[in-house]
Amino acid sequence: MRKLLAALAALCLLVVIPGTASAAEPAQKKVIKIGVTQAVDSMNPFLAVRLVSGSIQRMIYGFLTVPDSKTLQPSPDLAESWTTSPDGLTWTFKIRQTKWSDGQPVTAEDAAWTFNKMITDDGAKTGNGPAVENFQSVTANGQELTIKLKTPQASMLDNPVPIMPKHVWEKVKNIAEYDAEVYPAVGSGPYVAVEHKKDQFVRLEANPDYWRGRPKIDELQIIFYDNPAASIVGLKKGDIDLIGRLNPSDFESLKGDDNIVQWNTQGRRATYLQINHGATTSDDKPIGDGHPALKDPKVRTALHHAIDKQKLVDEVQGGLAKPADGSIIPPLYKDYFWEAGGDQKIGFDVAKANKILDDAGYKKGPDGLRTMPDGSRKLQFRFSIHTDAPIEDKLAEYLTGWLKEIGIGLTTKRLDSSKFSEETGTTALFDIAISGWSVNPDPEEVLATHLCSRRPTASGEGGGTESFYCDPTYENLYLQQQKELDRGKRADVIKKMEERLYTDAPVIALYYPNDLEGYRKDRIASITPIPEDKGLLYGGSGYWPFYTVEAVSKDGAAADSGGTSTGLIAGIAAAAVVVLIGGFFVLRRRQGAADERE
Amino acid sequence: MTAALDELEQAPARHGLLRYAATKAGGALLSIAMVIVATFFLFRMLPGDPVRALAQGRNMTPEQLDLERARLGLDKSIPEQFVRFVKQTLQFDLGVSYEYKRPVLDLIGERIGSTLLLTGTALVLAVSLGLWQGARAGWKPGSRFDKVSTAISLVLWSVPTFWLGLLLLMVFAAGIGPIPGIFPTRGSSSVDKPDGLAGVLDVGQHMVLPCLTLVAVVYAQYLLVMRSSVIDEVGQDYVTTARAKGLRDDDVRRKHAVPNALLPTVTLVFMRIGFVVGGAVTVEAIFSWPGLGQLFYEAIRVPDFTLMQGTFLLITVSVIVMNTLADVVYHVLDPRVRSA
Repeated sequence: MRKLLAALAALCLLVVIPGTASAAEPAQKKVIKIGVTQAVDSMNPFLAVRLVSGSIQRMIYGFLTVPDSKTLQPSPDLAESWTTSPDGLTWTFKIRQTKWSDGQPVTAEDAAWTFNKMITDDGAKTGNGPAVENFQSVTANGQELTIKLKTPQASMLDNPVPIMPKHVWEKVKNIAEYDAEVYPAVGSGPYVAVEHKKDQFVRLEANPDYWRGRPKIDELQIIFYDNPAASIVGLKKGDIDLIGRLNPSDFESLKGDDNIVQWNTQGRRATYLQINHGATTSDDKPIGDGHPALKDPKVRTALHHAIDKQKLVDEVQGGLAKPADGSIIPPLYKDYFWEAGGDQKIGFDVAKANKILDDAGYKKGPDGLRTMPDGSRKLQFRFSIHTDAPIEDKLAEYLTGWLKEIGIGLTTKRLDSSKFSEETGTTALFDIAISGWSVNPDPEEVLATHLCSRRPTASGEGGGTESFYCDPTYENLYLQQQKELDRGKRADVIKKMEERLYTDAPVIALYYPNDLEGYRKDRIASITPIPEDKGLLYGGSGYWPFYTVEAVSKDGAAADSGGTSTGLIAGIAAAAVVVLIGGFFVLRRRQGAADERE
Repeated sequence: MTAALDELEQAPARHGLLRYAATKAGGALLSIAMVIVATFFLFRMLPGDPVRALAQGRNMTPEQLDLERARLGLDKSIPEQFVRFVKQTLQFDLGVSYEYKRPVLDLIGERIGSTLLLTGTALVLAVSLGLWQGARAGWKPGSRFDKVSTAISLVLWSVPTFWLGLLLLMVFAAGIGPIPGIFPTRGSSSVDKPDGLAGVLDVGQHMVLPCLTLVAVVYAQYLLVMRSSVIDEVGQDYVTTARAKGLRDDDVRRKHAVPNALLPTVTLVFMRIGFVVGGAVTVEAIFSWPGLGQLFYEAIRVPDFTLMQGTFLLITVSVIVMNTLADVVYHVLDPRVRSA
């Protein structure tokens, strides 16, 4: 036993020492490490659906267009320029003369192959299927790519499909089962994927042939943390250099660390309530068990009046959000953002809410709860939230308090995320539910979640509704914006859609959470957000921040010396542990011997 | 005459062992069959539509959803799905993961090494520490050593694994006050892992905290069983005799009492292997250790039925196999069980 323990002690020592060994090695490469809390599901862009996989694809592959770093409007990427036919059905893109990372030229043929693969091979639709749904045909001629559409589509320039090298991928027999774990991967983006260890990390190296020029750092590492708390520890310790998508409490915990910059800026999300205002299926049959009172727009307006959004921002989000007086596109997207003003604005006013309900015949009973005008049911609503989101619990507490003041009962119903999406998106077994979406520079997708066609079919199949909304006015506006290729005019139509959602209230926007991130200033010398004016770092649109990121020069060798001293301390600590263990055994041995002598 | 008697006595014994082993193996097979059935229905009772969950909030047309259902075999009736599942499982085909779109067996194969390394090391350490401390504690029950080590182990045992892991992470990875953060915060190796011995040490360094957490949480059970069996032995006549013969106390303990006390503990060691693998789920999630536990955790989050089924089956079957082995080994080691 003693030998075994001695061996273990020796092992411990060896295990701790490498800190010294590896840190002493001079690190010439400029490396930036990003911590993420979602693992890559697939390195095959035709299959990957997770957000993190999409962000990584943005770095290794070219797209037809990318959002401009200042305006977020579509700007040239692999497509240098483009034209549209007067009827909006034919788009012609001129593909840039550039090289794949293996030296082959990029041609329109590559783009055509990518889109056609998705159109013809169902297995290739998993990742970005909806993006090519409206494509009639895709053809190539030298550097010229022609896409013919079934119906006009203004969001065409926000195409989310990475262009793949035909000469590499056409050899793949079964796209649906191809894991694409071949490195270095062939791409045309600013970085080249050189290694992926599942559920651990992805390593990207700068692409020297990138058309915009080589990135300023040599290597970008995307490191996966299963446990968000550990990632905060990792940032504080310097295991990673940047982390995005923080919740308010983790963000606060970074306070006071001189090496860490707290990045707090406007985000791309909106948090809102979805209300079961009389859910129906796509063939207009009622579905679910929503409370009948919520069908009454007056009740929804009264609800809206009863919510103090500023208080929610201050006390639920720790002040790290902006109250919403408009709709579901956050103010980050200046062109499309709409806000209610004047008489239209529904402010926090409990008296007014009570009056609306009184006038509409919802009488308060002796228990303080109102009943339906026909006396059939009390106004007691369920509020569906996620089990794993403490913030939503807090939000429910506030809402319950306010609604009580206007004679409405609210009971909180906690659901795990898959049950939640089933009940609030398919079966409609809810009254009020929490919701929220991240919005892309082109907001079409989030607007489409309120279309009639997105409601589930009678058999429960369906394309993902957000509100079971189906409104002819909204529907018409949607079709209008889809055809409108003039950006300004299209923005006007989109604002009308938001206004419609605001006044009709199938959803009530609460606030726009800030984008909260943290990075180490002893490692990152500069990083440009997107949009450049107060934008996001990680999780923004496109690769801009990680193309522009600059590492702190190693001349200062701040990180290195830190590493060495850490290693040294580690070594000393380990030695101390071993000495202690050794001493303990010597003592025990003596004592044992003394025992025996007695 | 004596030779014949000897034969008579030996034959039933050998025969008995075989029969015993066969009965146990039969029982194990039955349990495994029941587990396979239960697995299928258990995971279908979970809420949530896997196809919708797979879309991760993206919109899919009804056609795409149908296609995805067909691909996953979810368009078939439950009995059909069940027959297919049983057939495949018996051929060691655990299906294709919904999310990773790769055979579950491949995914398990990629990660089982990491888990075995972590749990294996933790098990060896927990068993050595538990048995050593238990033997000492049991030898002099009520002594200070006994009180302290039993108390410590019980406290660690009752502490939530997640909390303990996080605490170790905060203290020894980030560093608090004078304690420097010396261990990595995540994973089983560095991104730029060196080759050769340095690489092995790199993995070792990553293993310290998860391993420590696992050991701290599980070693109490070994300590307690060893302690109580040693206490049992201390009262036995042979110990008194050995002591009376003037043998050194240390020798009596190590050479006489402990080997006898080890018997019941052997069973426990085997039985607990499966549970240690299961316990690794939490530890792997805290330290982002890329093993089976993490895979299972991810599978539940999606939910990825086939992946959950596969990992769950593997963990359960390993528990059953280890329990059976424990029974047989115990049978071989302890003659008293044989006669019973």
